[in-house]
Amino acid sequence: MNPDYYGRPVLKAPHWGWNVVTYLFLGGVTGGLGIIAALADPKDESGLKLRKTARYTALAVAAANPVILISHLGRPERFLHMLRTFKPGSPMSLGVWGLVAYSATAAATTVIEDDRLTALQALLGAYLAGYTGVLLSATAVPLWGAGKAHIPAASVCSGIASACALVSAISCMTGNSEAVRKLERFELVATAGEVAVLVHFSMAGGPRVGRLASRVAVPLALALVGNLVHVPERYGRMRTLLASALTMTAGYLFRNALIAEGIASTKDPGAGFRQPE
Amino acid sequence: MSETGFFTDTTLCIGCKACEVACKQWNELPSDGFEFTGESYDNTSQLSGTTWRHVAFVEQVAVDPAAASPIVEKWLMMSDVCKHCTNAGCHEACPTGAIVKNEFGNVFVQPDVCNGCGYCVVSCPFGVIDLVDPIDEDRKYAVANLNEARRDNNQTAIQNNGGVAGKCTLCYDRQKIGETPACAKACPTESIQFGNLVELRERANVRVETLLGRGIDARLYGAEDIGGGIGPLNAFFLLTDRPEIYNLPTAPVLPSTRQPAGYAAAAGTALALAIAGWAIFRSR
Amino acid sequence: MPGLGTSFGRGGATSYVQDLQNADCILIEGSNFAEAHPVAFRFVMKAKERGATIVHVDPRFTRTSALADLYIALRSGSDIAFLGGIVNWVLQNERYFREYVLAYTNASYLVREDFRDTEDLAGLFSGFDENAKAYDRESWDFERKADGCIARDETLAHPRCVINVLRRHFSRYTPEMVERVCGVSQAQFGQLCETLARNSGRERTTAFAYAVGWTQHTVGVQYIRTASILQLLLGNIGRPGGGIMALRGHANIQGATDIATLYDLLPGYLRMPSTTRDEQTLAAYLRTNARLGWWEHLPAYIVSLLKAFYGEAATAQNDYCFDYLPQCTGDHSTLPTQIAMKDGIVKGYFVIGQNPAASGQNGAMINAGLERLDWMVNVDAYETETASFWKREGADPATIATECFFIPAATILEKDGTMVNTNRLLQWHDRAIAPIGESVTDAWFLYTLGKRLKELYAGSNDAKDRPLLDMTWEYGKDDPSALRILQEINGFDTRSGEQLRSFTDLRDDGSTAAGAWIYTGVCPDADTNNARARRGDDDAALGWGWAWPANRRMLYNRASAAPDGTPWSERKRYVWWDEQASRWSGTDVADVVPGARPGHDDQAFLMQTDGLGALFVPGGGLADGPFPTHYEPSASVVENALYPQQNNPTMRTWRRSDNRSPASIDPQYPHVLTTYRITEMSGIMTRYIPWLAELQPAAFCEIDPQLAVEQGIASGDTVTVSTVLGELECRVLVSGRMRPLRIDGKRVHTVGVPYNFGALGFARGDSVGELIPLVMDPNVSIHESKSLTCAIRLGPRSPR
Ligand SMILES: Nc1nc2c(c(=O)[nH]1)N[C@H]1C(S)=C(S)[C@@H](COP(=O)(O)OP(=O)(O)OC[C@H]3O[C@@H](n4cnc5c(=O)[nH]c(N)nc54)[C@H](O)[C@@H]3O)O[C@H]1N2
Ligand SMILES: Nc1nc2c(c(=O)[nH]1)N[C@H]1C(S)=C(S)[C@@H](COP(=O)(O)OP(=O)(O)OC[C@H]3O[C@@H](n4cnc5c(=O)[nH]c(N)nc54)[C@H](O)[C@@H]3O)O[C@H]1N2
Ligand code: SF4
Ligand code: SF4
Ligand code: SF4
Ligand code: SF4
Ligand code: SF4
Ligand SMILES: [Mo]
Repeated sequence: MNPDYYGRPVLKAPHWGWNVVTYLFLGGVTGGLGIIAALADPKDESGLKLRKTARYTALAVAAANPVILISHLGRPERFLHMLRTFKPGSPMSLGVWGLVAYSATAAATTVIEDDRLTALQALLGAYLAGYTGVLLSATAVPLWGAGKAHIPAASVCSGIASACALVSAISCMTGNSEAVRKLERFELVATAGEVAVLVHFSMAGGPRVGRLASRVAVPLALALVGNLVHVPERYGRMRTLLASALTMTAGYLFRNALIAEGIASTKDPGAGFRQPE
Repeated sequence: MSETGFFTDTTLCIGCKACEVACKQWNELPSDGFEFTGESYDNTSQLSGTTWRHVAFVEQVAVDPAAASPIVEKWLMMSDVCKHCTNAGCHEACPTGAIVKNEFGNVFVQPDVCNGCGYCVVSCPFGVIDLVDPIDEDRKYAVANLNEARRDNNQTAIQNNGGVAGKCTLCYDRQKIGETPACAKACPTESIQFGNLVELRERANVRVETLLGRGIDARLYGAEDIGGGIGPLNAFFLLTDRPEIYNLPTAPVLPSTRQPAGYAAAAGTALALAIAGWAIFRSR
Repeated sequence: MPGLGTSFGRGGATSYVQDLQNADCILIEGSNFAEAHPVAFRFVMKAKERGATIVHVDPRFTRTSALADLYIALRSGSDIAFLGGIVNWVLQNERYFREYVLAYTNASYLVREDFRDTEDLAGLFSGFDENAKAYDRESWDFERKADGCIARDETLAHPRCVINVLRRHFSRYTPEMVERVCGVSQAQFGQLCETLARNSGRERTTAFAYAVGWTQHTVGVQYIRTASILQLLLGNIGRPGGGIMALRGHANIQGATDIATLYDLLPGYLRMPSTTRDEQTLAAYLRTNARLGWWEHLPAYIVSLLKAFYGEAATAQNDYCFDYLPQCTGDHSTLPTQIAMKDGIVKGYFVIGQNPAASGQNGAMINAGLERLDWMVNVDAYETETASFWKREGADPATIATECFFIPAATILEKDGTMVNTNRLLQWHDRAIAPIGESVTDAWFLYTLGKRLKELYAGSNDAKDRPLLDMTWEYGKDDPSALRILQEINGFDTRSGEQLRSFTDLRDDGSTAAGAWIYTGVCPDADTNNARARRGDDDAALGWGWAWPANRRMLYNRASAAPDGTPWSERKRYVWWDEQASRWSGTDVADVVPGARPGHDDQAFLMQTDGLGALFVPGGGLADGPFPTHYEPSASVVENALYPQQNNPTMRTWRRSDNRSPASIDPQYPHVLTTYRITEMSGIMTRYIPWLAELQPAAFCEIDPQLAVEQGIASGDTVTVSTVLGELECRVLVSGRMRPLRIDGKRVHTVGVPYNFGALGFARGDSVGELIPLVMDPNVSIHESKSLTCAIRLGPRSPR
């Protein structure tokens, strides 16, 4: 007897494409930048410089992101309807408000140096990076639901890693090599964390988790290699830039794979019959 | 105001699809295309942003060793619709507040508020709600049979030029004027019963008893708490086989129940990384 | 519907659909009730909820079968063998309702000694003329005593008693034979027989429902006769939850038949005069047609009709203008007319609300015929395949000379009027909106056409123009008033102008006029339109609309009581004699002549000459036999297992190059082909409605999985179905709902094709009419589209 209905899926596939991928990616990046800004040690020059770079970049990315979000709406002119209500139970609503609050804080920190503001930005940044994962995991999409803890965790790692990559590239160009060195270490830790989370996720299993893992395995491996490899001094800058590019690519591809495999998982007939707790 | 809903009794369904058509007619919805599927008598295949009732046709083959050809002995038909969940994934997810619980306890999408973010689509555990493509004003009347007089009544995605989410309104507009929803009204055999939920549930329980007495494997789907945090469904069903047969989830889960785990994992990870970062950036 | 007409007296369903809920068992055979009559099926579901057993007998497992308690698959074209088998079973096992049969049927009559049955003549009755392909029906009659009365034997012992002749006639229709011919297992057959018998008798009743699954055969009328015999034997006619529900087709097909769309009838089922019966004068007409029984009132009906047609001009002196009526000169039914068109005999064609190019048989011939016309007028809500025949696939408009006119028709919502449904129920509807655009109502078109013709011929002294000039034609200034038309149909006193209340008011002296006697009473006075009545209830709902005759809902309901006037049982009481009030009372208007009381003038089948239900139809009744006999369809996949006579000897065929007909068995066409409708579609109206078109978006056929495997076909593929006549391309739905059957030791597959498709619309495809040659039954000139033979292959057809 047919286990499913003519191979038709139970669930509706997300209507999400490149813009949501980008939005999630940038959301993670800007959140990560907020954390980096707070971590940067204001007591030394390189740290101070890093903090400024991180803050400005965070603000720029945070400001760009709504544009991308708006572009994916069915009715872009109604973006502001997102702000007509505050629903903490809706990750999307909370996220948009989080982004607003974050952007405001990010703007404030660029002009006001205040420890509490800095901490707030870092907290909101952590939230933002995590929200890009919860936004997915709190849906009926089988892959995402299966990764209810893994995806938010990996999203935080990925966001921080990509943020590190972005500011290290900038710092490299501006000659803040001390910052680059620290950032690369942090980037390595975050990437390693992401790998660990995803390995755990694939071991736990779930619809199309294997496909997700195989799609991100190579980019993440390359990102790790980029950070670990030793090159002669004169190629140092190039390596840094390359490693940054690899990490950011891996970050983007991770989000892309999440969306693509999430969509695929909804199309799998029968995948929605028993939904993950 | 007492809550209203549907009791759809599949044992009374004759698969005439009058409900599907009546819904489209009342709500002025366009067709979803003209594709022959070769899948029993089902050529619309599923609920969509513009198909709010969908009749499923399930051909069940008897395993008869004497038969040279597989023989269908049961042909189940079931008119599916939005479940109007007590705890509705779409409702919780909607960031604009476009989705509301109205005074009848029904889950209603306000098409003039919705901005088409699509978050409800991925948040429905039953695969019901979907987005409707944007339509420009000129084409609107070509797509659907819109009635000029009802232009502004803001009931459907099409009346709002698309680009927003669409699903069963439980005929909010009809209920407001004391009318039965179009699908229930059109159903010739009372397979779709509309009314007060308390009464419907009572009736459903009696019906199940009757059918069990006749040796029919009757069971209710969603009359009581369906689990997964969703609670009872305001549009519930009487089935004669496993829910999967009709493409209904056996164990649906309210997506928002996964939020705490998600936030906790994110927070834990962020904290761990922050400590590591502190060590890296603040070490001298 | 002469199957019912000859059996019971009136050619209509014997009951009303709501009454089905009172049945203990419903046998649906020859109809896809749930799909073609979904709203009426509600009452089948109600019966089921009340515990009735629902049985569906059909070549295909349909949505009706899905809801039935018992489904029996039988081969298309084998129902007489099947039902005859049940008749045989009932008689062999003495399960008939003896008191009923004795009182209300002609079971006890003696059949003439020189009558010969199919048992004696290898499948023919006495009197067959091989050359004329027709019967001399002289011997099909009852034995008369010296006083002219029919001889009977109330003990039912005489071997020539109708019931014994019947017994012998069906004796070879054994369960084994049913299995061989129909492909129904003996176990299932036995189960059904037992179910029917158990649910009939004093306490219980069984209803039959059929539609065109029983009529579109060369022996269609005899299918219905077999059912009638069976229901009479079981005592189920005229009783609640019993009867034979003939489910009518189009929304107003009953009304159309009542008011005579059939070529050989005048309104109210009066026979059209015919040169073949020498009915040139009113007296001659009355001589041949005013028979015993109710038809002794014919003079009042025909004179009133003529008064309605010709008004003042119709006088006693001129025979009420009887000679104005056209006379039939032969068979002018659809199929012969189609051939006459092809042969250039018919020059002009009004097509009003019909689409023969899509729904007709032998589509190629229809199109060729349309090409030969001088002119064609189409009145339709859509530009149909018929209206646009000149631009169809493969046609060259430059070579077609037919002048075509198209009048856009207003639809039901845009006009007032009545619809008459299966219950013979007239229901009025008001127009909801004015006709859209240039569309006009059919009534406007015909009224205006009549007025223009009258103007054209005004002042003419030519005798042949008198009918047109004398025709009464006053229904309003521009738009005719539907109410005025209905009032005229109802009838009025020609002197006072008062509306008539009942057909018993009609007179043969010119003092009354009525357009159709059966409708007299619908508008009983100037202010009342009973078709508007909307007082419903859960019984016969006498206050809802108005049913002919005399607002009676169940025909022959006298039979719901025993001869002494008491109900057969409390459970099944319906109409009974109330001794105290000295009248008939009950749920319905009693079907008896005025003044009838038990034992006096109280025939249950009062329209019959002898007042009895006919197990045996004597003489002039039917062309192909007093009893039904199983013959194979004109083209079949097997030989007739019952008799050497393969086909109905009186069926009409046209063997000509434009109507290539298959041999009676042709191995090149090994499968049974049947056609039918689906819920989602009717004709072009539905094909253009996107909401319906998306539900069944393409022409398709249905086959069983085994045949699919053999032919390498998968569900959804494009295939070609072919007969000798032509090819049809469509999609295919492979489903285990279609079942191969074992017939006479041979495996037989059925290919089913919905007939609703055509070249136009959102949902479209080839019309199945392309495959069906013209073959006609001898009684009602119906086409044979329910059982044919065909071949099927993967892939598209060749271009036309
Ligand atoms: N949706 C819809 N409804 C309609 C119509 C429509 O076009 N669409 N048309 C209307 C009209 S005009 C009519 S006349 C009625 C007709 O109403 P029905 O007669 O109920 O309709 P059909 O589908 O033509 O045929 C009925 C069944 O007969 C079966 N059949 C074929 N051959 C045989 C046979 O030899 N024996 C038996 N026992 N069964 C056989 C077919 O498989 C089919 O299931 O429907 C009316 N209702
Ligand atoms: N193979 C096969 N052939 C069959 C049958 C079958 O079972 N098998 N069934 C047969 C039967 S039972 C029937 S009844 C015929 C049906 O054959 P048709 O009567 O030719 O079929 P329809 O498509 O119903 O045609 C009705 C037409 O009336 C038009 N119309 C609707 N409303 C109005 C109105 O108010 N005024 C006017 N003027 N037009 C209007 C519609 O647009 C449509 O074109 O087909 C027959 N042909
Ligand atoms: S079934 Fe889906 S669309 Fe309907 S109320 Fe529940 S969550 Fe919302
Ligand atoms: S698409 Fe509309 S209804 Fe759905 S969640 Fe977004 S705003 Fe709410
Ligand atoms: S309640 Fe109204 S909107 Fe919902 S399915 Fe029925 S007809 Fe459609
Ligand atoms: S209208 Fe009623 S009977 Fe017809 S398909 Fe819908 S639920 Fe079933
Ligand atoms: S189409 Fe009209 S006539 Fe036919 S079942 Fe439906 S409502 Fe009745
Ligand atoms: Mo018909």
